[in-house]
Amino acid sequence: MKRLLLLFIGAFGSLHAQSDSINKLDEIILRGNFSPVLNSGYEVRVIPDSILKNNFESLGTLLQKQANFYFKQNGNGMVSSISLRGTSASQTGVYWNGIGINSALNGQTDFNTLQANSFDQLEVRKGGGSVLFGNGSVGGAINLKDEVNFNNVQQVRVLLGLASFDTYFTQLTGIWGSDRFYAKISGGAQTSENDYPYLNTSLENDNGAYVNYNLNATLGYKINELHSLRFNTSIFDNDRELSRTLSAESRAKLKNNDRRFLLDWTYLGSRYTSSLKVALLHEDFQYLFDKNISANESMGSSDRLIGKYDFTYFLKNDMFFRAGVEFENARGNGNNINEVSQDDFTGYALMHHEPWRKFTYNLSVRAGASSAYDIPVIYSLDARYLFTSSLSLRGAYSTNYRLPTFNDLYWEPGGNPELKAEFSSSGEIGLDYQIKNLRVGAGWYVIKSKDLIQWRPVTQDFWQPVNIDKASNQGLEFMASYERLIGRHSVVLRANYDYTLATDDNSNKQLIYVPKHRAGGILDYSWKKWGFNYNLQYVGKVFTTTSNSESLDDYLLSDISLIRSLCKDIVTLNVKVNNLFNVNYQSVAFRPMPGRNYVLQLNFKI
Amino acid sequence: MKKSNLVLAIAFLAAFLSSCSDDNEEPKQPLGDYENGYFVSNEGPFQNGSGTISFVGDNGAVSQSVYKTVNGEDLGNIVNSMYISDDKAYIVVNNSNKIVVVNRFTMKKEAVILGENIINPRFFVADSGKGFISNWGDPFNTEDDFITVIDLQTNAILEKIQVGEGPERMLIDGQKLFVCLQGGYGSNNKVVVINISNNSIDATLTTGDVPNSIVADSSGAVWLLCGGNPAWTGSETPGSLYKIDPTSYELDIKEFTSTQHPSLLNTDNGNLYFALDGNVYGMDTNDVELPANAIEGLGGQFYTMNVKDGELFATDAGDFSSEGTLKVFNLISGDLLQTITTGIVPGQVVFP
Repeated sequence: MKRLLLLFIGAFGSLHAQSDSINKLDEIILRGNFSPVLNSGYEVRVIPDSILKNNFESLGTLLQKQANFYFKQNGNGMVSSISLRGTSASQTGVYWNGIGINSALNGQTDFNTLQANSFDQLEVRKGGGSVLFGNGSVGGAINLKDEVNFNNVQQVRVLLGLASFDTYFTQLTGIWGSDRFYAKISGGAQTSENDYPYLNTSLENDNGAYVNYNLNATLGYKINELHSLRFNTSIFDNDRELSRTLSAESRAKLKNNDRRFLLDWTYLGSRYTSSLKVALLHEDFQYLFDKNISANESMGSSDRLIGKYDFTYFLKNDMFFRAGVEFENARGNGNNINEVSQDDFTGYALMHHEPWRKFTYNLSVRAGASSAYDIPVIYSLDARYLFTSSLSLRGAYSTNYRLPTFNDLYWEPGGNPELKAEFSSSGEIGLDYQIKNLRVGAGWYVIKSKDLIQWRPVTQDFWQPVNIDKASNQGLEFMASYERLIGRHSVVLRANYDYTLATDDNSNKQLIYVPKHRAGGILDYSWKKWGFNYNLQYVGKVFTTTSNSESLDDYLLSDISLIRSLCKDIVTLNVKVNNLFNVNYQSVAFRPMPGRNYVLQLNFKI
Repeated sequence: MKKSNLVLAIAFLAAFLSSCSDDNEEPKQPLGDYENGYFVSNEGPFQNGSGTISFVGDNGAVSQSVYKTVNGEDLGNIVNSMYISDDKAYIVVNNSNKIVVVNRFTMKKEAVILGENIINPRFFVADSGKGFISNWGDPFNTEDDFITVIDLQTNAILEKIQVGEGPERMLIDGQKLFVCLQGGYGSNNKVVVINISNNSIDATLTTGDVPNSIVADSSGAVWLLCGGNPAWTGSETPGSLYKIDPTSYELDIKEFTSTQHPSLLNTDNGNLYFALDGNVYGMDTNDVELPANAIEGLGGQFYTMNVKDGELFATDAGDFSSEGTLKVFNLISGDLLQTITTGIVPGQVVFP
């Protein structure tokens, strides 16, 4: 159970100056543009393997708990979209090993179509990051990582579970590594009737069943001390009925298939590193208006070919340059999108400098061109100053963009090929304090956005997207964590609070589905072979009409779990109660979420 | 006893007493909170949520969500239309596949009509003890559209009459029901005439594309407005105005120019009114030509409009995600008389 403690240690990237370039180069190779040395003015948080592998959860559920992120969900297991710092769902960049995977069709990620434990690590970074990460990283960025370790390791993990509402899941993972080769294959499945009752009504989620499969594979080959190759694949198939609302029944169904492939060749020299990536991303969906009538379907798909090259060169120990180019050909097709293809090309350059031992800053710029729209030139400046070894001040300013999607540009009818990119500028400052086992952070940010894309009616039955809205977001973010090990007792406490003001500049009203208050807390306690976990989540009131005349009530959720490891830690038994107090809540209006429910899970590790 | 029940009881008692009493005038008891005024039916938000009914009293007081206030429940998703017949109102809830029958004076729920004979209901009209509901059926099936006939006394389903794609607005003229086949998600160009005494189809008239509104003038002649296919369909056709002889079905057509797509035909006092390109036009039913100029002062992208007693009642759905507005204009002077906040997406103005 001491491992459990390790979960949380290292959960924050160390931002303290590392003096030698080799360490930095190593880190840059390992972590790419999410590397803390490239993000001096930001918090890059790592959610390690130890948290991911022990729970069979969707990425959305995990990030709600671990990162205090806000999601809105059309019912349990249904489409789940993020809002970071009050920005829209397409203004959070989601990456897989550094490759952007937000849908080319709608610009978003559905966080119920990613299985958290099929990845090794998550990196999350709030704040504008379009310069480093590319399109859509306005509110923040999330990177899903598959690790490669050239160590002798053999491991087989089996996870079996059952839960309320006829839910069953399993995940099998095999890892084999040597000093030259690495292979990891992980596959899983989940099926659920998901027919939870809508509390205080006579209704139940009678059209909410789902089944999904995931398969991830990572292969690594170390050619020599300098060169290595890796190949990743990530496959997710999801077949969901779409839940009814309180006011209308549903017979609809949605099938999603995602196929992702990535080849990466890295070079790690003494003064420079390079990484060449080639990725193929495929997504398709099939929407059935009535699950019993297959003729009434709407389909869409996209295929993307991405080439990406990043290069880092150390001029001297306290200064290096990094530059990269990225090419993307994206093709889309479907019932409402007719065989479209576009090419985007962007490049960025960054300078990292540590003029004094206590002060670090990065300057960077990105520019590009596209066959479909103008790509704005954006830039970023971020810095950190260490007052003492335990107290540091960070600050950042950046401009960012979100490019129009296939649906925005080409949807028939209405798609508007004249759209330009959404543009925003953002600034933030923060204080980080760390002493022994205590860590405290506070930050303030502002985001000013313009040319936000909104579908508006041209006539009663004809809508078109236009670059019309302007928004101002600002907020405060606090976090505190504390870890203590006394004998065989270990305690980890973590608390977050976010205050978010996000207003439409025309109406001065709070944007819909942006809670002003969001808080979360985690208590982890372990003793010998026992573990106990308490998770608290608070989501404040959200408005559901743009005039702020209607709203959803705030809610406070408690989840608990009890963990017991057996047979020399080969077996771990985990009993969870979600929504312990049976709170009747809605994340999206008229779409109730489940009341108290139970999960029983067995993990084997050999 | 809830206040609304009390009101209902008093109403019944009043009706009972008045029927027993002599013609000696006692002061008339109110029939309900919503007796004197008119209604706006609000579709509500698209994806999830409930439509509502707003009430505008003759005294100027506006009440929102009156159905929910009285019945303590939401109406349902996408309240497409509402129709008043005698002391009842029929609220058509499109996406919830039901017709909610209420007392129109009290808004008290009396019945809910649903089941396999109500699928994607759109509009309701009534006459001679029968109600008629236009249904799209499965919106992606062009072969399963129908008119449901109900008994207004018992709310029992009497008959289901198959019609072509996309039945929308209806008009009863004499013993005939005119059904506009607007075309649902696509486009159609038919008007079906049903003899309501025996529920049989009397004729199917081919008209311009997208027949979107239909009225009868004081002489009994039927006027039909077709929007034509809009430009975004890729096969744009002009709008047209038809005068239909209700006996011979003879059609007299006036065609708009190829890029004009009028809608929301109304009649008042021997005149016709319609919306076109953000303006309101008026003409005499005897005019030979379509009007060349819009009525001054009545500009706006109206989601729906009604003309009554020289006044124009027009709604604006705003951004479709929050309250809309109803504007009342003097039709002659174009003066804005009143601006009233409604529910979300005000789709119909309904007068008793």
